Amino acid sequence: MTQFGAPDFAADLASALVSLEAPRVDIPVIQPAEPFLDMAGEDLRRRIFLTESETGESLCLRPEFTIPVCRAHIAEGVATPRRYSYLGQVFRQRREGPNEFYQAGVEDLGEPDEARADARAVSDARVLLARSAPGRALTITLGDQSVFEAVVAGLGLPAGWQKRLIHAFGNEQALSAMIARLASPEGSAAPDGAVAGFLASGDAGGLEAHIESVMAATGYSTHASRSPAEITARLMDKQALASTRLSPAALDALRAFLALDVTLDRAADALAGFARKAGLDIAAAQTRFEARLNALTERGEDLAKMHWRAAFGRPLDYYTGLVFEIAAGEAGLVLAGGGRFDRLMTLLGAQEPIPAVGFSLWLDRIETVRAGR
Amino acid sequence: MTRTPELLTPEPLTIALPSKGRMKDDAVAAFDRAGLTVSAIGNDRSYRGRLEGIDGVEVAFLSASEIAREIGAGTVDFGVTGEDLVRESLPRPDERVEITARLGFGHADVVVAVPDIWKDVDTMADLGDVAADFRARHGRRLTIATKYWRLTQNFFSTRHGIQLYRIVESLGATEGAPASGAADIIVDITTTGSTLQANHLRILSDGVILRSEACLVRARKPSHADDPRVAALVEAIRSAG
Repeated sequence: MTQFGAPDFAADLASALVSLEAPRVDIPVIQPAEPFLDMAGEDLRRRIFLTESETGESLCLRPEFTIPVCRAHIAEGVATPRRYSYLGQVFRQRREGPNEFYQAGVEDLGEPDEARADARAVSDARVLLARSAPGRALTITLGDQSVFEAVVAGLGLPAGWQKRLIHAFGNEQALSAMIARLASPEGSAAPDGAVAGFLASGDAGGLEAHIESVMAATGYSTHASRSPAEITARLMDKQALASTRLSPAALDALRAFLALDVTLDRAADALAGFARKAGLDIAAAQTRFEARLNALTERGEDLAKMHWRAAFGRPLDYYTGLVFEIAAGEAGLVLAGGGRFDRLMTLLGAQEPIPAVGFSLWLDRIETVRAGR
Repeated sequence: MTRTPELLTPEPLTIALPSKGRMKDDAVAAFDRAGLTVSAIGNDRSYRGRLEGIDGVEVAFLSASEIAREIGAGTVDFGVTGEDLVRESLPRPDERVEITARLGFGHADVVVAVPDIWKDVDTMADLGDVAADFRARHGRRLTIATKYWRLTQNFFSTRHGIQLYRIVESLGATEGAPASGAADIIVDITTTGSTLQANHLRILSDGVILRSEACLVRARKPSHADDPRVAALVEAIRSAG
């Protein structure tokens, strides 16, 4: 029979969470839907359970804990650093598996020592899994978007290209399509005569005035949506990009970087070797990367048992640095996922930037692994 | 006890046709060309009819959007409706229904259109760039006015990997939304493009989501496999097309 209650090991997991200096928070099951849709995008709509209040407010059954935990933290104006833990049901429409299942996790908000906080998140997740699914081989994989950002910046690519590449990072298909396109850009449609004239003479001021007057004449507000200045700036950028293409050396460097996949004990050397070979100065990113490795070692983690995969990321715009995943065995079920989401807190309305890192555990999958299925 | 012949007569096969307007006339004409005459039972405004040419086939006159839903639910066997409505109303439509024949009328494209003055946006990739930056620049996500939720989500999220946008539901006059400030861009149907043009909107060069037309659509039912009426109907319509 399918189990809908909390799995047997949940009580033990709950007490383990308390011992992590992360007080348990209770989050209402019914949540406003807007923050989830705003952060994760419209595609989430068909994967959550939506309803409407009598007054027309869009509500949903909580599909995850991170966003509500962060919102509660901001609303209550709690001092940082502060850690929270949670354990409870989440609700998602899935093609396979039950629509309600349990997640547990920790959010670590405001810890200024990022390397330490990152290492702690990875280490806590591993320890909890080792306790909940004892004796099972775990594959731990780390990625880091900030290293990719440093490589892209170091290659001296135009800003527009950097943005596109960073945006596609984490979606390997989209990223390789993007790299191929940058290597041999297609000519884009020629803009109409008036616009082409301003572009040819490099007259940004004239172009902006032209766009503004067309908007006024056609009844479009110049501030409700994209402004004449924004459109002008992007037209100028595009024109600059049209005449450049990714050099073979830069292309090779990008591909070599994305192919890096080594155990963590060799990761610092692999990154340094890559930077040397590609002739890139990414020293600041290397320092941060190594600080995290040292912090993991200080916590007693065995770096030889974890992997760094350079192409591993999450294509959500609030993930900024570390991401990690812990799976059962080689390429098995993902039991835990986590990462650093420094951009989320301000997106959710925090007045000051708040560094944030966390992880969540999939209790239904842990149960599957425990049962040896 | 022996069975009476009545009990062996199979259930009538039901075809749903549009109940009014140009779509109704065109659908009836398409059946005519296939040698199948649709006649209303009772008066002209009746919602039930019969098909002369194949025995045991009934006609139900329904609204176009109802037809897509009813085929999806399997309450009718066939229907004539726009592909846009089939793909919008039904999750995973190809598992539930089959487009048996394209009928050559009711042409309409479902398209992504942006304000023409967005001179820097020609392609979905451009739009992806704009969407990625939108929140940082404007404090909100890019908004799309449409009544085609499902088609929009599939096209933006699955086909083009664009996640960062919000849909603003539009129940009419979608093409006015960008100028009125109700949304930044639209996803809507167009036949000639003249309404878009009149509202200073432009279809992206790779922004055609679906080239839709009226189709004969079949509900995928196991009982159809060895039903001679199904084969006869499909054959008649296809050879007329």
